[in-house]
Amino acid sequence: MSIFEYNGSALVAMVGKNCFAMASDRRLGVQLQTIATDFQRISKIHDRVFLGLSGLATDAQTLYQRLVFRHKLYQLREERDMKPETFANLVSALLYEKRFGPYFCQPVIAGLGDEDKPFICTMDSIGAKELAKDFVVAGTASESLYGACESMFKEDMEPEELFETVSQALLSSVDRDCLSGWGGHVYVVTPTEVKERILKGRMD
Amino acid sequence: MSRRYDSRTTIFSPEGRLYQVEYAMEAIGNAGSAIGILSKDGVVLVGEKKVTSKLLQTSTSTEKMYKIDDHVACAVAGIMSDANILINTARVQAQRYTYAYQEPMPVEQLVQSLCDTKQGYTQFGGLRPFGVSFLFAGWDKNYGFQLYMSDPSGNYSGWKAAAIGANNQAAQSMLKQDYKNDITREEAVQLALKVLSKTMDSTSLTSEKLELAEVFLTPSGNVKYQVCSPDSLSKLLVKFGVTQPATEAS
Repeated sequence: MSIFEYNGSALVAMVGKNCFAMASDRRLGVQLQTIATDFQRISKIHDRVFLGLSGLATDAQTLYQRLVFRHKLYQLREERDMKPETFANLVSALLYEKRFGPYFCQPVIAGLGDEDKPFICTMDSIGAKELAKDFVVAGTASESLYGACESMFKEDMEPEELFETVSQALLSSVDRDCLSGWGGHVYVVTPTEVKERILKGRMD
Repeated sequence: MSRRYDSRTTIFSPEGRLYQVEYAMEAIGNAGSAIGILSKDGVVLVGEKKVTSKLLQTSTSTEKMYKIDDHVACAVAGIMSDANILINTARVQAQRYTYAYQEPMPVEQLVQSLCDTKQGYTQFGGLRPFGVSFLFAGWDKNYGFQLYMSDPSGNYSGWKAAAIGANNQAAQSMLKQDYKNDITREEAVQLALKVLSKTMDSTSLTSEKLELAEVFLTPSGNVKYQVCSPDSLSKLLVKFGVTQPATEAS
């Protein structure tokens, strides 16, 4: 089994009309055994930038802690929050630093940039960025997620419809993947509020 | 007669003094003053801005007060460029602690760690000491609200009320007279503004010459560092009778 599939994960981020949604599964496993059913994969960097980390959980935690370190110092020195594009570049740089002994993570970054324009991107474990206008996926369920998102995605969805779409895409994809699942965690972010919702899916 | 012991920081004089450190403190005695007061529900920091010119490009950033981490802030007196280096060092130290222990750095540990850095410049390396004194204000879950003062020698101690910079002795004795142990944050603001107005050289006190910041707990229990806006500061100055309102003739 590959090291990326050790803990199991599913992450998806989608762009809507002046908003974005990021969803993850909630399972944390050790190969085939499920250890936790409330694992948080998505973290808030600040009110307008969210980071999801799939892959090996220990590397995801350490990478997140390093990013908090860097972002806090940025906030203190620049006296403002980091833009999502800048944050994505920071993540990419941190990952490439470990080019020959990488973090076994695939990050998904989503945020609202200037003029509330939604920004999403993903990258591989050594920092190759993939910017997309519609959706990005990561994790053990990524292949199913690609298919589900491609068929369900529509441009310029309002937050409520975006929530439905991203939830359906996530739940149907993790059902086809034995290593991810046990519900879902969805964040829908608009310029005015952040809505966090828990989904109940097939609990297996 | 002590001139031959001046030039190197790393030697004592025959009387057992470190002249470079004392000269650094002289430099601070000419800088804009700052006062810190510890109250039951927060810490208040007030600073006098020395550089006030119409040509100065004012932005949101402050001249005397700096945030070190979410739960610690400091007021500065002395050479600003030296202060910038130390503030950056303090910020990085606080983040390193948080990275290692996943919790905010206790205030005293942060002050101690910065003072250890300052002390290094008085003992080895042949470099001059930093010409800055700090007033650190913060909160942690072990000791609640705290106020610390540190000077170029790397010495620090905890205070209920302290003053650094120009006229600090006069300010300190005024604080000693008027400070009460159970002072509230509002009373502390009033006391700080009153003391600063009496010890400042300038004849009239306006919000352009001052900076006011507070460290307190929000109703939800989080620590907050807030710098007072110039408008609120003007209103406070009028409210506490420290300055004449614009409409009155003097």
